[in-house]
Amino acid sequence: MASVKPPFRRILVANRGEIALRIVRAAHEMGMEAVAVYSDADTTAAHVRAADAAIRLGPATPAESYLRIDAIVAAAVESGADAVHPGYGFLSERASFAQAVGEAGLVFVGPPPGVIATLGDKLAARRIARAADVPHVPGTLESVAVDRPDQLAGVIAAAAGVGFPLLVKAAAGGGGRGIRRVVVPAELSAALVASSREAAASFGDGSVYLEREVMPARHIEVQLLGDSTGQVIALGERDCSTQRRHQKLIEEAPAPGLTETERRRLHAMAVRLGVAAGLQNAATVEFLYDRDGAFWFLEVNTRLQVEHPVTEMVSGIDLVVEQFWLAAGAPLSDRVRSAADRAARPTSHAIEVRISAEDPARVFAPAPGRITRWTMPAGPGIRVDTAVEVGDRVPPDYDPLICKLIVHAPDRPSALARLRRALDETEIAGIQTTLSFHRAMLTEPAFVDASGLATTWVEAHWDGAASRARAVRVASLAAGLAELGEGEVAQVTALGPGALSDDEPAWRAAGRAIATDRWPR
Amino acid sequence: MIAGPMEDAGRAQVSDRPVDLRAVRVSVAASARLDGDPAITVSPSPDPDTRLPQDGDPGLPLPLVDGVATAVRLERFGDVRARLFESAAGSAAPEIRTDVQLGPVRVDPRHGSRLREVVVDGWRIEVEVEHERRAVLRERARRGAGVAAHGGPVEVRAIIPGRVVAVSVVVGDSVEAGQQILVVEAMKMQNELRAPREGAVQRVGVAVGDTIEVGDLLVVIH
Repeated sequence: MASVKPPFRRILVANRGEIALRIVRAAHEMGMEAVAVYSDADTTAAHVRAADAAIRLGPATPAESYLRIDAIVAAAVESGADAVHPGYGFLSERASFAQAVGEAGLVFVGPPPGVIATLGDKLAARRIARAADVPHVPGTLESVAVDRPDQLAGVIAAAAGVGFPLLVKAAAGGGGRGIRRVVVPAELSAALVASSREAAASFGDGSVYLEREVMPARHIEVQLLGDSTGQVIALGERDCSTQRRHQKLIEEAPAPGLTETERRRLHAMAVRLGVAAGLQNAATVEFLYDRDGAFWFLEVNTRLQVEHPVTEMVSGIDLVVEQFWLAAGAPLSDRVRSAADRAARPTSHAIEVRISAEDPARVFAPAPGRITRWTMPAGPGIRVDTAVEVGDRVPPDYDPLICKLIVHAPDRPSALARLRRALDETEIAGIQTTLSFHRAMLTEPAFVDASGLATTWVEAHWDGAASRARAVRVASLAAGLAELGEGEVAQVTALGPGALSDDEPAWRAAGRAIATDRWPR
Repeated sequence: MIAGPMEDAGRAQVSDRPVDLRAVRVSVAASARLDGDPAITVSPSPDPDTRLPQDGDPGLPLPLVDGVATAVRLERFGDVRARLFESAAGSAAPEIRTDVQLGPVRVDPRHGSRLREVVVDGWRIEVEVEHERRAVLRERARRGAGVAAHGGPVEVRAIIPGRVVAVSVVVGDSVEAGQQILVVEAMKMQNELRAPREGAVQRVGVAVGDTIEVGDLLVVIH
């Protein structure tokens, strides 16, 4: 590949954090220059350091930096970039951004603006699904009135038709924002207002709709790639059932337990929907998979997903590289087509855990702060996508995701063993993260044997305070013994007489003693 | 979501036995404590004959944990990494081994106690270590003052940094326990803060658009 002329000479990455770094890396591997943009919170961030040039956008607040379409397009033009990659989050699913990039004479690395706009409207996407004969989650196909007492009766009637419990969702939603669960009709009015307010704040669009809560269900999504000739392929599916309040925590590929027939049916539905929507570049079609084996279309994300690495591990395809080729007008490559042909018969397994600055004992509340210790795992089958290091301050202004740990192995049991090993090697201090949650999940039979995979599992079963309680006892004992100096005393005694010399630290002597004991005699 | 006044219920068991001058009291630091986090007292073995009974070798003197000889030991590997071994005395069950990271010690200038971050199984626990005699004195002083404080105003303070996006109450409002009083946006999520108990709003310390830090006074309910 090294001799191939890259699709672009210079690209701008309109994002921050691990995904910005991941895109800069792909650009460099393809022989392209990368331009970073940054806010005042990120002046020394890894994505800025990795890029060939960097342009300041403004203050830390996203609205004044990473959400500024004018500033980012100006930065792209000024830096001489040919293309703009939006990453995920921020402007990645704003049709107006894709439009502005195109109008500036640059290439947007993603679907065309019209496709983003249509699929970004969850209601329009549901109507496309119906037209493409893809079953969608039951609910309204139009937005419902909010804060209009005169229309409340009509909304309550619509809700009764959908059935309780139901979800109020933002038509422009994503990332779990703007979603409210409603159990009884009396809660509906307040939920509509709350959902609409959060949606308006997050997306600038307060329209909401009603959707039946399919429960229990697994979240299974299909990775699509499409080219400018209208060809769309599926690169396999991911199971993202381990989530909390619609925020994914663990993702894996392939989805455990599906038959080849189910996979083919699922992939075909996603491709049908992608073709019907005129999809190009990369997108993900999300489904709920219920206990009766039915798939229900949920929504389409017209961008790279956070969890794209698990698909990359299993398919062998670098999705960001393919995005750049597709954006430049290349047809779906032979390697992508052959990976798609194999997608229904996966031959390996990958799992990603999201390490976020959140406290799993306090309802996953954000826990920003300074990282004082940061040791990442290594060895066979391990991939760490992160942009932080020791000494960094995790700013409160952005998404709490700080690291994705991905393991790849021949099958799910060996991937779980590898993940357990990798988490044992991971050391983070200074901030509370979801590392504790992931370690605990690997002891949960429902997750380990995949029998309990469900979007509601975490809310129903996770007891963070109980998991933390054992750690509190161990921490208290360790701190107490360290204070008394018992640790050192025990160390000396455990080695037996004569094991220590004056110039050898106790831990080294211990290691030497153990090594010596293993020596054949 | 709400930080109320910190309670120290159920941690006064030490006064009925003599205080060991070498003993240390370990508790989760006030800023990190959850309801039900117990404090423990650790002291060196008072009696060199208290041993792990099943061990063939002479064994180690057992430290006392809350006054009970406990088969627990700590091995340290350098400044940070350590391993805690626990076993049930008299049992043939294997030792439970837990890797532990011990952060540097910070001295709290107000109390003279020592604060230390300990990471266990991915949990970051900030503990406070102080001499037991000092802890006992502090507890006595607090119990005396605690009676008067009960039923007084409750200060609702921020436990996450973020930006205030809605304030649902004004001074003089009466609120029910659990009623929403504020909405704070942090890391893209809107967090609804609710009243910890019923009462009248005595003070509102923030307005829409304010950026708040952990510990900032948000609302006082009387």
